[in-house]
Amino acid sequence: MSLTEYAIQATLGGKKETANEPWPDDVILYQQYQVEQITLPDYAQCLAVETFLHMCGLKFRVEQRTNAEEMSPSGRKVPFIQVGPYLVSEFEPVVGFVNTKGFYLTKDMPDTERSEMRAYMSMIENIMGNAELYLAWLNTDIANEVTKPRYGCSYPWPLNWILPWRKQRDIRAKLKANEWAVKSLEEVCEEVKICCQALSERLEKKQFFFGDHPTELDALVFGHLYTIVTTILPGGHFTAVVQEFPNLAQFCKRIEDKYFKLGFD
Amino acid sequence: MGSLHAKAPADPQPKGVKTSTVTADKKKEEVYVNFDKLPVRVQRVVVDGLTRTKDDIIIKEIKPLLSAKTFDELVQLSYGAKVKMERLGLFKNVVIAIDVSKDKRENGYEVLFEVQEFRRVDGGIYTSISNNDGSLDFQVKMPNMVGRGEQFRLDYTVGTKKTHGYSAYFKKPLNNNPDMFIGSTAYQFHGEYPWSGYKQTDRGIAFDLTFPTLFGSHNLQWEGVWRDLKPLSRETSFSVREQAGHSLKSSLKHTFSIDKRDDPILPTTGFLWQTSQEYAGLGGNVEYAKQDGTFQWNTSLPLDTIFQLSLAGGIMRTLDPRASISISDKFFLGGPLTLRGFSMRGCGPHSHDNALGAESYWLAAAHIYSPLPFRPGKGRFGDLFKTHFFINAGNLGNMDFSNLSKSFQYLATTLRWSYGAGIVLCMGRNARLELNYVVPMRIQKGDKANSGLQFGIGIQFL
Repeated sequence: MSLTEYAIQATLGGKKETANEPWPDDVILYQQYQVEQITLPDYAQCLAVETFLHMCGLKFRVEQRTNAEEMSPSGRKVPFIQVGPYLVSEFEPVVGFVNTKGFYLTKDMPDTERSEMRAYMSMIENIMGNAELYLAWLNTDIANEVTKPRYGCSYPWPLNWILPWRKQRDIRAKLKANEWAVKSLEEVCEEVKICCQALSERLEKKQFFFGDHPTELDALVFGHLYTIVTTILPGGHFTAVVQEFPNLAQFCKRIEDKYFKLGFD
Repeated sequence: MGSLHAKAPADPQPKGVKTSTVTADKKKEEVYVNFDKLPVRVQRVVVDGLTRTKDDIIIKEIKPLLSAKTFDELVQLSYGAKVKMERLGLFKNVVIAIDVSKDKRENGYEVLFEVQEFRRVDGGIYTSISNNDGSLDFQVKMPNMVGRGEQFRLDYTVGTKKTHGYSAYFKKPLNNNPDMFIGSTAYQFHGEYPWSGYKQTDRGIAFDLTFPTLFGSHNLQWEGVWRDLKPLSRETSFSVREQAGHSLKSSLKHTFSIDKRDDPILPTTGFLWQTSQEYAGLGGNVEYAKQDGTFQWNTSLPLDTIFQLSLAGGIMRTLDPRASISISDKFFLGGPLTLRGFSMRGCGPHSHDNALGAESYWLAAAHIYSPLPFRPGKGRFGDLFKTHFFINAGNLGNMDFSNLSKSFQYLATTLRWSYGAGIVLCMGRNARLELNYVVPMRIQKGDKANSGLQFGIGIQFL
């Protein structure tokens, strides 16, 4: 599916505005409560989208809702942004939507580089996305001590154990279908390492992955790696893996300083 | 266990009762027997046909027969026992036979109850009607399950509007009283509410106690329900979408009702009074207090016409200052059987075509029912139809509890009303169908009015 097809994710009925209007002032990004509630994989997604919007220089406000997941137009996918009558969720659709509004990070990119960027992005989504789900939900210690209590924190008993249990079941089914569930933690760490290796080699000593200007890939990599590095989880498996690559750690620091100087808001 | 025998106490007949003994010879001569005065002494009561019904519950119902002094009293007591045992759900059918006792003792009688118990497992497929939605019910039930009138029931329902659900229900009469019982239920129900742009799955358990008093019947219920609200489509308004998610309601509800009407659907006389109070907030994350009430009064006028006056109203208030009341708990107004002349949930606050509901409402309706012109099918199916003229008015709005008088004033001044006429069809004893021509007379901004012909079918109406 092309990005433009993703773009019109939801229209809220009523007035049909053209997608070419400039960026309104009241754009809102919805996500779960960052301190108490959000889980590792969801936070990585939210941070990637936020970074992308910052890189585009677009104004938006983050609104935290306990039911952000259920509000999402694509069904249980965070974050989503509200732009006038439109609701768009997830990273790629947001990128597509922002492009239709006339904002690009990669307008003059040659096609070869663009497809290379796409390849890296799908690698991140595949490996890092699944690895984060695996670590957060299938690792017994982390699931029981961190992920499930956080996921259920806004609900009263007995929903605070039914809903995390259900979510875990769904994630397990998803990872079973793509054969991640059978991997051992070491194998998953190895996958993450291979992914980081590839990214590290591509980045070398450059400012960004493709020269001097940020791309979607930079936003996505930052979202995942920053989340992994800064989230303290029992075992600290992934954090150790990522820290083996100093240029990636510096990259995260650089992006943070450049786009999140005033903190996360 | 085939039959149950009860014997009268061995002590002789009380003194003073024995006045004029009716012998077998005399009976032949006399044509009239005065049953009022005919003394009896019940010697034996036989209940035949028992398999799983417990002895103690039968003995409790049968025992009063032994104290019968006259034949008339005996017949009445026997009939009373029959009716009560049937109402308790013990037997499908009870036949009473009263005979003189075999040992030919003076005034000795014996009573035989031939009872037929229900099948252990029974079931069926039914069609049922809720408001503007028909559904098919698959039911399996176990009447008189343990032998003391308990009933267990499993239901599966599929509706025309993508609604579906299943439930298990258990009911047990208390103290041998068919009007006093405890019930418990566990259910899952999925419903879609296109007027408000959401769908919801409810999973819940409830326990209730129903008991009669001098004035009316009380029902006390605790319910714990997990509601999963989802936007119905991408078109769902954001005001509804932001209420999506899981909520857990734990509530205590008291319902008081007096129903003196002769028919629940098309009554000709009598009144209904029903009020309920609900308190949500015993655990869970839904906190509110809700009051709701309905009053209906019917009286027969000359020429087979009936005048009916109905009033309803409700008010609710959140008890959690940080949270507002969810759309699934709010009041709605409008529809072909309530505030006629407006679409389903067509009054009050809307956002992009989705009805949002409000925290208070009132509704009033006056009807004049009369038989069909020229009375076709009189005495037969024609009696199920009535023509009616009506006028109904109502309003829906949110309450500002710091300025109640202003809120009430608002509810009174921004009212909606309409009038019209049409045909009512009574379907069974629990639903009705209406085809009306309606003229909405006062509409507020944002309302969805429906003037002209309007068709409605349902169980709730005013």
